[in-house]
Amino acid sequence: MAAPGPRLRLAAAISLLLLLAGAQALAPSHRLTSRDLARLRAALERPFADVQAAYYSIVGLDSLGVRVADEKAACNFVKSHVDSSSVDSLFYAAQSIRVLSGCEVTISNETRELLLAAVSEDSSITQIFHAVGALSSFGLPLASQEALSALTARLSKEENVLATIQALETASYLSQQADLSGIVEEIEDLVARLDDLGGVYLQFEEGIETTALFVAAAYKLSDHVGTEPAMKEDQIIQLMNAIFSKKNFETLSEAFSVACAAGSLSRNHYHLPVIIVPDGPAAVSHHQPVLRLQVTDVMSQPLTQASVKLDYAKSASSKATVLQQTPFTLSGDVFELNFMNVKPASGYYDFSISVDGDKRFIANKVELKVKVSTEVGITNVDLSTVDKDQSIAPKTTRVAYPAKAKGSFTADSHQNFALSFQLIDVNSGAELIPHQTFVRLHNQKTGQEVVFVAEPDSKNVYKFELDTSERKTEFDSASGTYTLYLIIGDATLENPILWNVADVVIKFPEEDAPSTVQSKNLFVPKPEIQHLFREPEKRPPTVVSNTFTALILSPLLLLLILWIKIGANISNFSFAPSTIVFHLGHAAMLGLMYVYWTQLNMFQTLKYLAILGGVTFLAGNRMLAQKAVKRIAAEQSSRLAKYRTLR
Amino acid sequence: MSGAAGSGAGAAGSVGSVVRRFLVEYGSGTPSRLKVLDAYLLYVLLTGALQFGYCLGVGTFPFNSFLSGFISAVGSFILGVCLRIQINPQNKGEFQGISPERAFADFLFANTILHLVVINFVG
Repeated sequence: MAAPGPRLRLAAAISLLLLLAGAQALAPSHRLTSRDLARLRAALERPFADVQAAYYSIVGLDSLGVRVADEKAACNFVKSHVDSSSVDSLFYAAQSIRVLSGCEVTISNETRELLLAAVSEDSSITQIFHAVGALSSFGLPLASQEALSALTARLSKEENVLATIQALETASYLSQQADLSGIVEEIEDLVARLDDLGGVYLQFEEGIETTALFVAAAYKLSDHVGTEPAMKEDQIIQLMNAIFSKKNFETLSEAFSVACAAGSLSRNHYHLPVIIVPDGPAAVSHHQPVLRLQVTDVMSQPLTQASVKLDYAKSASSKATVLQQTPFTLSGDVFELNFMNVKPASGYYDFSISVDGDKRFIANKVELKVKVSTEVGITNVDLSTVDKDQSIAPKTTRVAYPAKAKGSFTADSHQNFALSFQLIDVNSGAELIPHQTFVRLHNQKTGQEVVFVAEPDSKNVYKFELDTSERKTEFDSASGTYTLYLIIGDATLENPILWNVADVVIKFPEEDAPSTVQSKNLFVPKPEIQHLFREPEKRPPTVVSNTFTALILSPLLLLLILWIKIGANISNFSFAPSTIVFHLGHAAMLGLMYVYWTQLNMFQTLKYLAILGGVTFLAGNRMLAQKAVKRIAAEQSSRLAKYRTLR
Repeated sequence: MSGAAGSGAGAAGSVGSVVRRFLVEYGSGTPSRLKVLDAYLLYVLLTGALQFGYCLGVGTFPFNSFLSGFISAVGSFILGVCLRIQINPQNKGEFQGISPERAFADFLFANTILHLVVINFVG
């Protein structure tokens, strides 16, 4: 009989673990606030352009729970603009008419035949969906089994996400007697095809519109067949984050899809995401002791039937539980809890809140960080001058905030100035250690200021001592009268303090005093930078280079002299046309080289060179051939002459 | 015997006699066509040497100009040497397919290309 005890404890431990695990679950980061809803409504309430636009507007607004402004005009518009030969148009009209109240329409036999014919294996899934939807919304009889078989056959051919979603929608119109489990399994397959973005968002790569349509279709079908959709709580929250992250809608179809998703997430039979946000800042104080929470569904409609409970409230620093298992009370649309009743010390607290009341609730546990503020009071403020030699007893003056001490205090080489004070919470009397406890000394004449930090000792009494010899570098050894301020501040304080406590005359030893206190002005013009231009290379004087140019021509002179000496004969120059052309062409080529140097670029030169070179080549070829002939003739005749002489 | 006498007389004497002998042989043995070419080669050599000397003296400031001039001299010298080798009657056996006229035409063509590049580079 000792078993129940440990077993009970084990069960409690496991449930606690589950509670903690639940507490670690993903919290929704996006929802439709009332402003977002207004924007969505405005996007849907556009004047109708055609039947499809009318369908999006009317059915979208219906998902949000809003009626169309002028239902009669909408009804007339739809009836006049429907195209009886198009299955799509009939679908849009049918859905719109079903939503509008007091809107009746009669369907001709041809239309009925058209719609029934569209429900076959040869039509695309979109066609089947529109036909089935139209037939169902017009109240016409529909063969569910045939439609189901056509749908299953088409699904195996059309594998894309949008077609599968439309198949889900179609199945929600079919009779429950048909075996829709095959279609219901598609929900799981589609969930597997979602992309996880950073663990926060879950959406199809086709976009938000497809994701929203999927959510609406999945819940519609699940409600119709009565089985819970195969989606985990985290996945639903991630889907929510993705869909409601879109705040501006470019197209009517996008707005329609988000409206349908919002409607289905707030009205289905299985999952109801809960949004818990503080009303205003999550802070309490003596002036505002009540923590207010808004507990709503995804469309920011308050869940007034829910019961909101505080599981525990722990101090963030000490982890001590301050409050647990306390319910919130409903006041109008918000849930309230007076946290100051437990008289918490100031600081931050971790709240764990759970919402119950409907087993459909998901994301119904949140962690909140709540700030408790208080007011600080300064007590036991003692200003004293302490003699360095300890020979004279310290003179202590007590000051009360916010008065200023009368008289001034002196700190010089013989005596130090000391300040001590205590900080308490005005409401509870407990001692406080704020983040900012500064002592600021401001030189009245020069405008210098020096800030020190006052440190608390073991008894939480703040002490500050000014020793002129130790601190002369901070002061730049500038003697004079300084105004002493005390600065107290913290995030959890409602009344930060800036208090002019006293005047302190500080005297530094004269030999250290600087001549004048230079105020560091950062915004004076800097010394000008002289730019060093690139120095030109050293060149020889013009005389030298001119002399050299003249000198360079001297070997040419030598060449001419040598040639004359050797007796280069130009007597063999035959005035044949090819020779003249060759020499002229060659001279022209040399001239071209000079012109190239002065004026032309490579491409032009090559062009001219090609022409001149061609001409010169042909002429030169002929000329040299003639010379060769003459040479060979000469050689032959000399050989003949030699032969003859030998004989 | 003259060689032995040259070596007995001293290094300067032998060098001088070798040079004299060379000049005599050259004057008599080379056809005038080759002597004309040799004069041209000497001219080109002197031009190149003068350019180099100037560059050493006053610095390489327009370096591209110096290079183009110098390479023009060097290139012309090489082409001239090639022409001389090809038209030398003593080398006739090695250049069966190339007549002197053909050699001259090649010389002109190569010079054209060389000077095209040189003028491009001289700046």
